[in-house]
Amino acid sequence: MSAEADGDLVRLAVGLGRALAAEGVRAGTARARAFALALRAAPPASIGDLYWTARIAMLPRIEDLQAFNTAFFSSWGNPADPDMLRLLAESVQHFPASALTATEQRAIAPLPSEEFAGESDAEDAPFVLAMASPEERLAERDFADFSEDERANMLRLIGRLRAAVETRPSRRRRPDLQGDRLDLRATARAAARTSGELIRRKRTQRRPRVRPLVFLCDVSGSMAPYARALIQYARANAFARPRVRAFAFATRLTDLGPALSRTSDAAASRAVTERLQDFGGGTRIGAALRAFNDRYAQRGAARGGTVVILSDGWERDDPELVRSQMERLARLSRRIVWVNPQKKHPAFEPLALGMAAALPFVDAFVGGHNLRTLDAVAEAIEGTGEGSR
Amino acid sequence: MHETVDVDGLTRRLRDVGYLADRGLAQALALSAALERALLLEGDAGVGKTEAARALALVYGADLIRLQCYEGLDLYSAAYDWNYGKQLLAIRTAEASHERAPDLYGEDFLIRRPLLAALGGTRPRSVVFLIDEIDRADDEFEAYLLEFLQEFAITIPELGRVAAAHRPIVVLTSNRTRDLHDALKRRCFYHWIGHPSVEREIEIIHARLPQVGEALARDVARAIARLRERELRKSPGTSEALDWAEAAAALGAERLDRQTFGATLGVVLKYPEDLAVAAVAAGDLIA
Repeated sequence: MSAEADGDLVRLAVGLGRALAAEGVRAGTARARAFALALRAAPPASIGDLYWTARIAMLPRIEDLQAFNTAFFSSWGNPADPDMLRLLAESVQHFPASALTATEQRAIAPLPSEEFAGESDAEDAPFVLAMASPEERLAERDFADFSEDERANMLRLIGRLRAAVETRPSRRRRPDLQGDRLDLRATARAAARTSGELIRRKRTQRRPRVRPLVFLCDVSGSMAPYARALIQYARANAFARPRVRAFAFATRLTDLGPALSRTSDAAASRAVTERLQDFGGGTRIGAALRAFNDRYAQRGAARGGTVVILSDGWERDDPELVRSQMERLARLSRRIVWVNPQKKHPAFEPLALGMAAALPFVDAFVGGHNLRTLDAVAEAIEGTGEGSR
Repeated sequence: MHETVDVDGLTRRLRDVGYLADRGLAQALALSAALERALLLEGDAGVGKTEAARALALVYGADLIRLQCYEGLDLYSAAYDWNYGKQLLAIRTAEASHERAPDLYGEDFLIRRPLLAALGGTRPRSVVFLIDEIDRADDEFEAYLLEFLQEFAITIPELGRVAAAHRPIVVLTSNRTRDLHDALKRRCFYHWIGHPSVEREIEIIHARLPQVGEALARDVARAIARLRERELRKSPGTSEALDWAEAAAALGAERLDRQTFGATLGVVLKYPEDLAVAAVAAGDLIA
């Protein structure tokens, strides 16, 4: 094949990469290159061949399938073509429920309120700073009482908080003179230098491994402002340590995944909103916990780690499901911290049925409606706060 | 350099060894073999990720080298190790016979673990290297694999660089217990294996279990499909469908009737909650 034709293939691949980027999926040049090579090795005989080659080479993960399909069909396909429709139907068959939620959400545009850190940011920023309360007063203010303008500032402050990192001994070992196990390899090597006499014994010690930290945030109705704050807190932790995950739920569970790794607060906030389809619906805590247990905890996502749940405990469905799923989660994790902003009221009683059902399995029950009480959340995660059992 | 990629041909040959691959999977396997690029397979447990690698090895008459991943998997269990006992003995023997000790870090004392063994193919496509459940290994091992997948070579400090004369076909599987690094994923082709349709499941049962009758295969495939529609802790995969059909056939059943259903349900569902769901829905599941 001529160099010129190769150039065409590369342009084709890069074009799809651009279309993917426009859908928010970063495939990268390594994948585009593999795609071009695959096209050269196996020139597609039909649109179906082209589709599968593109998907095998360029799709980073199954959750991105809907975005991929949009990019692919907008680049090369006419979705009204019956062949195209059949291909589309085939491609989305049997993909996992978790992907389905993420894809459905892409249809939903960001809320106007999400644009708080847009282009006008540069001019407005000094003004916002001047108008903002001193940090002391900010710390006591309820998250629900922040205006749009002040929220960016508040999120920035939360971005400085984080909990201490918990570790456990891992199965991986490192050299350590005081270690608890003989390192045969290193000892034999040292012995070889002394004609096989075992003079130096080398030892190894188990290396510490960071425990997972998982956030499950209720984003329904009145919980939304607190969820934003806690998700921001999750991000702050994710920057400082590995093994942090965050999920949002109202009527269904959504993995916030990549939203945590966005570098700017505004980009993260937009990514969160894109991934949420039911910001503001009713709450099905039991069903969400069940989805988390089935899809993630059962496979070890929270094993040996801490799960932080944010919710007021108002369950739309049967509280028995909350109870049984909390029991499961308690077995699949090490600590459960429940954050309930309603705890700010002096006369608070856990009357919500879901809350009452969950409490027996909760290791620490804390507030978390303002910056001050987020400290209590950190202590609860570390197991040092007064809320712990 | 590359031979032509024959997806239909591979699909047929996979079928001949009892593995029914849908179009996407066959194309992924064919491209991966032709371009010598690793293939990452994801999907629910029991959809046939590991089996795909096995079948591919059968098709090419290749050795299947399998590396099961786990937390703490290190270089010495994954790539190579030295036979220390033999080394020490060699020193002692040389001493006793007043000879010069042999090179202690030569081929004679090397233990080849899967990664190194996978580089030892003697002709093209003579090795299928299966890295099973990569999500169970930790970040350190993943980082090491990056180099392996890029270069198809391992550097052993004492020996130098060992490169593959013929690159192995590499298949990685993941159950998604955690997200893999993108650095690893972008070095691989990627395919998600979904659950098969009822018709496809019947074909799979026939292909793998010739002793299972037409009616029983259909009953099992349909019941499995209905079970997948329900909210279960563990949704049954194709491997469970095969186990179920095999168990029912072993009991001499020709249909999945109430008695057979009750006697074999434990083969498919492993949690008391799931068994309770199935018991309630029995009427819907039984032929």
